[in-house]
Amino acid sequence: MDADLLKETFLSLVAPDLPNDWDVEEAVENMAGLDEHRCHSIMNQVPVIWPVSHSLCFDYLKAAAGALACIEPAALPIWVNRTLDQYEKNGLRSARRFMADVEKNFLCPLRGESGLRFAEAAGRLLPYLRGLSGRKLELAAAPAVYTDTVTIFVPPEITLFQEEADNFFLYKLIITYQWAFIVQSTLTVSPSPENGKCGERAGDELWLQGFLRSFSCPELAQDLYHLLETARITRYLEEELPGLMRHKRELAALLEPVPRSGAGKPSILAALRDLLLQREEGITSSPDLMQSCRSIVSGCRSARSAHDSIRATMALYPLVQDVEPEYIPLEPLLYQGGLRLDAVRVARQALLAELEERFVDVLATRLLNLPGQSGRPAEPMFRREEQDASSPPESGIALIVAGGRDQATETAARTLLLTVNNKEIEVGEELNNLASDIISELGYLPAQYVTSAAGRAGRGYAPLRGTDEAGGMEELTAPVTYDEWDYRRADFRKNWVSLQEKDLPLLHSSFVQETLSRYHGQIVRLHRQFEMLRQAERFVRRQKEGEDIDLDAVVESLADSRAGLAGSDRLFVRLQRDRRDIAVLFLIDMSNSTQGWVGLTIKESLVLLCEALAVVGDRYGIYGFSGMRRLRSEFFHIKGLGEPYDDAVRQRIGSIAPREYTRMGPALRHATALLRRVEARTRLLITLSDGKPEDYDDYKGEYAIEDTRHALLEARAASIHPFCITIDRQAHDYMDHMYGAKNYIMIDDVRKLPRRMPELYRALTR
Amino acid sequence: MDNMRLEEHRIEQEPYYLPQGQEVALAEAAYNSGLPLLLKGPTGCGKTRFMQYLAWKLGRPLITVSCHDDLSTSDLVGRYLIKGGEAVWTDGPLTLAVRAGAVCYLDEIVEARKDTTVVIHPLADDRRELPIEKRGELLLAPPQFMLAVSYNPGYQSVLKDLKPSTRQRFVALSFAYPDPEREAEIVAREGGVTGDLARSLVKLGTMTRGLKDSGLPEGASTRLLIQAGKLMGRGIDVRPACHHAIAEPLTDDPELLQAIDEMVSSVF
Ligand SMILES: Nc1ncnc2c1ncn2[C@@H]1O[C@H](COP(=O)(O)OP(=O)(O)OP(=O)(O)O)[C@@H](O)[C@H]1O
Ligand SMILES: [Mg+2]
Repeated sequence: MDADLLKETFLSLVAPDLPNDWDVEEAVENMAGLDEHRCHSIMNQVPVIWPVSHSLCFDYLKAAAGALACIEPAALPIWVNRTLDQYEKNGLRSARRFMADVEKNFLCPLRGESGLRFAEAAGRLLPYLRGLSGRKLELAAAPAVYTDTVTIFVPPEITLFQEEADNFFLYKLIITYQWAFIVQSTLTVSPSPENGKCGERAGDELWLQGFLRSFSCPELAQDLYHLLETARITRYLEEELPGLMRHKRELAALLEPVPRSGAGKPSILAALRDLLLQREEGITSSPDLMQSCRSIVSGCRSARSAHDSIRATMALYPLVQDVEPEYIPLEPLLYQGGLRLDAVRVARQALLAELEERFVDVLATRLLNLPGQSGRPAEPMFRREEQDASSPPESGIALIVAGGRDQATETAARTLLLTVNNKEIEVGEELNNLASDIISELGYLPAQYVTSAAGRAGRGYAPLRGTDEAGGMEELTAPVTYDEWDYRRADFRKNWVSLQEKDLPLLHSSFVQETLSRYHGQIVRLHRQFEMLRQAERFVRRQKEGEDIDLDAVVESLADSRAGLAGSDRLFVRLQRDRRDIAVLFLIDMSNSTQGWVGLTIKESLVLLCEALAVVGDRYGIYGFSGMRRLRSEFFHIKGLGEPYDDAVRQRIGSIAPREYTRMGPALRHATALLRRVEARTRLLITLSDGKPEDYDDYKGEYAIEDTRHALLEARAASIHPFCITIDRQAHDYMDHMYGAKNYIMIDDVRKLPRRMPELYRALTR
Repeated sequence: MDNMRLEEHRIEQEPYYLPQGQEVALAEAAYNSGLPLLLKGPTGCGKTRFMQYLAWKLGRPLITVSCHDDLSTSDLVGRYLIKGGEAVWTDGPLTLAVRAGAVCYLDEIVEARKDTTVVIHPLADDRRELPIEKRGELLLAPPQFMLAVSYNPGYQSVLKDLKPSTRQRFVALSFAYPDPEREAEIVAREGGVTGDLARSLVKLGTMTRGLKDSGLPEGASTRLLIQAGKLMGRGIDVRPACHHAIAEPLTDDPELLQAIDEMVSSVF
C-alpha cells in the first residue's frame, strides 16, 4: 500500500489528534510493502492503542509488519491485547520488548512452550543449593526475588530466554547470588565483630535497619548499600564459582536491563551501577560526579566484607545526594533481587524462637534425668565464665560457656559446662550444638533460657523419652517412641511419636475360604511359578575348591594316578548356600480411606500372596498400621516373621479393616526395626498403601512426604530394600520424590491387585 | 613358595601419604604394643593408602584381604589342596601373615559373615594366637605381626553390624576426608593436576558432600576427585571428566545428576 495513503488512513483514525508528520511517516514506513488486507488489519488496531499511549502506538506500527511475518492477521488483535497487558503491567519498555520477539513471547506461550516453571526446575535446583551451601536452605516461588536468610524466593516461572537451558541458568544465578548474600552476611552485617554476628536481641530490628534509618533518605542508602554489596558479591563469585560467572557474562546482554534510549539521562544510581559492575558504557553521563565517585568505587574494589560496604555507603551517600537531591529509585537487576530486611528480621526471630524452645526442652529433659534429681531441682544460676570466673557456683544450676570465639574463622571453639550443685555434668552433643547455634545467632546465651529450663524441669514437665527397643516381637506391649523427620529444620523431632504394637482380633469368617475358591485357577498357577523360585541349601560335589575334601573323588583320583592317568583336581565338596535368603515384611495401610472394595481387594491379595510364599519358603511377616496423632500410632500384628501361616493368621487377615489415619513414618521405622533383627541376605519392606501419608494433626503435605521419604532412606541405610505398592487412580508428582523412581509401583485399578501382587513379588526377588 | 608369595607383599618404595593428624604416631604405638587397628571412615578417604604407608614405615609386608559375604574361614586361614595325588596344606592370607610377622589388613570387615569374623578374635586380643583347626595347630603371632581391619560406618547406620565383642578389641582410628587444603594437595599430586584445578575439584567434592538429605548417602570421595583429575590429564574436558568420574559414579537419580553437573559448571 502506498505510504501517503497509509498516513492518511492513520490520521483519520486518530483524529482529532494531530500527531507530528515525521513520526507518522517513520511509523508506517515498514508497512509499505504489505498488501491491502494486511495493512487494514494493522490499522484496525490503531483505535485500540492510540488512546492508551501514543508512543506505544507508533512502536506498534513499526513492529506489526514484522509480526505479520509469523502470525496470521486474524491473530493480530490477540497479540495487541497481550502487548497492552504488558504495557499496563510493566510499562513501555516491557511492551516494546514483548513486541520485539513475536516467536518467543507470543507464539511459544500460545503453543504451550513457555518458559521454565519453578516446579519443573526445583528438583535440580534444590540439591544444587544444598550442595552449594552445605546447610539447610529452602527454595520457594514468589513474585519477587529475595531471601530472608532461611528461604530463597525465586520467580514461579522464567520466560526471559527462548532456550530452557538459559532460563534454568537464570534460576541458578539468582539462587547463587542470594546464597552469597546470606553467607557473606549482607543482610546480617553488624557494626563491629565484638557484638556477635548481628548484635541484636530477639525481637529487635536488624542492625542494618537502624543503620539505614539514620540517613535522611533510607531508600537511597539502602539502594547504595545493596549496589555495593552486589558488586562485592559479584567479585566473590568470580573467585568462588568462575564457571558460573563466565556463563553469566555470555548472557550479560540479555540479563541486564535494556539501556534507556533517547535523551533521558540515566539516574545517578544507574550510572553508579554501571561503574560498579564495570560496564563502561554508562559512565559518560555525569562526568564530574563520576570523577569523585571513581575513587570511592575503586576503593570498594577491595572490599572484603559487608562492613566495608557499610563504610562505602557512608562515603558515597552525601556525594550522590549533592548531585541528585531527588531520589530516583532503581529497579534491581533480576538476579540481584530486593533487600527485604523485615522478612529477614521475622525469619530470624522465628529461628531464634525455635532454637530457644528446643534448647529449653533439651536442657529441661537433661535436668530431669539427672540421677537423684527427685523433687525440685536446685535454683538456677547462670554466668559466663569470662565475666565471673573466680567464684565457682556453690549450689544451683549453672551453664558455663567456656572458651573464646575465634572471630577470624567464625568457628566457635566453645564448650558448654553444666554444673548442678557444684558438680559438673555431661551436657551432651545436642545441647552443645544448640548452644553453639544460639551463640552464633545472638552472640551470647541468654540467661532466661536456663531459668525457663529449670522451671520446666521443676514443674515436672516430662517430655517423651525413648524406651529401649525391648520385649518379644509378637507381644510388644510397651509403646515405642520414634523420631520424626522435620524437613523444615532438617533434623529429627526427638521421640516425637509413640507407637503401640497391637494384635488384630481373631475373626472367624469364611473370607479366606471364599477367596481360595474364587481364585482357584490363579493359585494353581502361582504354585507352579513360585516352585521354580525355590532353592535349598545343598552340597555340590567334585568342585575345584570347597570347604571339605570330597573323599570319593580323592580315592578315585588317587586310583587314577596310580593307574598312570592324570588325576582329576575336582576333589572338593562345596556348600552351595541358599540364594533365596530373603526376609520380607508387608506393611498394610489400614487407614479409613481404604474403606470398601479397596480394603477387600488388599485382603484377597494377601491371601494369594501367602499361598505363593508358602511354596517358595521365604520368611515373611504381615503388619498393618493406622492411628491418630503422634501419640497414638498403631501397629497391628497379623503375622510375625517367624510365624507359620496358620489358621490364626488367616483369621487375622480376615479381620483387617479400615481404621484411622496414615502416619507413614513411624510405621516404616517400626517395620525397619523389626527387619533389622532378622539376618537375611536380602531384606525387603513392602508397603501397600492407597495414597498420600496423612494424619489428623499437622502430619500432612510436604511434612508428611518428607518424613516418609526420610523413613525410607533410613530403611535403605539399614540395608533394607523398601518397595511401595500404591493403589491410586492418578499419578502424583511427589511419588518419585517420596519413594525414588524405581522403588514403587502404581496400580491404577485395584481389581488387578490380587494378580499383580504375587507377580510383583516374584519380579522383585528373582 | 610361601616366601615368594610374601615378597610380593613387601612395599619397597615409600607410598605417598599425607597425614591428617596423629594417625601415624598412634598406629606405631599400637604396633609396638601389639594392639590391632580398626580404621573407620567413608570410602576413598585414604584408609588403604594409610595401611600401605604404615607397612612401609614398619618395614613389614602388607597382606590385604577384601572381605565379602562369601568369605569363609578357610579362605582366611588356609585349606588342603591336592597336589600330585597328595593333600597339601596351603596357608590362607591370615595364616601367612601371622607366620611371617606381616601386617594383615582385612578391608570392609563388616561384609564378612559373622562366623568368619570370629576367627580373628583370639588374634585380636592379648592371646595373639591363631588356631588352625584342620591341622590341629595353634600359631602364636610374633611381635612383628599386626592385624588391621576397616569398615565404613556409612550413612546414618548405627555401627552396621560390627559386634561389640569384635569392636572392643581394637584401637580405632577415624578417617574423614582431609581438610580442603590437604585434600587439594593430595588431588594435585595423585591426580596430576595443577593446584588451582585441584582446589576446584575439592570445592566440588565438598558440595556433593552436602547432599546427604537430598538423597545422596555419600558425597564424592578423594578417590573420585583424583580420578576426575586423571581423566583431565588425558585430555578429557573438565565437564565430561567430572560427569563421568564424579556425578555418574555417585548416583543414578536424574535430578541429582543434573544438580551435580550444575555444580560442575558453576565451579569450573
Ligand atoms: N592422606 C592421603 N595421602 C595420600 N593419598 C591419599 C590420602 N587420602 C586419600 N588419598 C588418595 O585417595 C585414594 C583413595 O584412598 P584409599 O584407596 O586409601 O581409600 P580407602 O579409604 O581405602 O577407601 P575404601 O574404603 O573404598 O577402600 C588413594 O589412592 C590416594 O590416591
Ligand atoms: Mg580401601
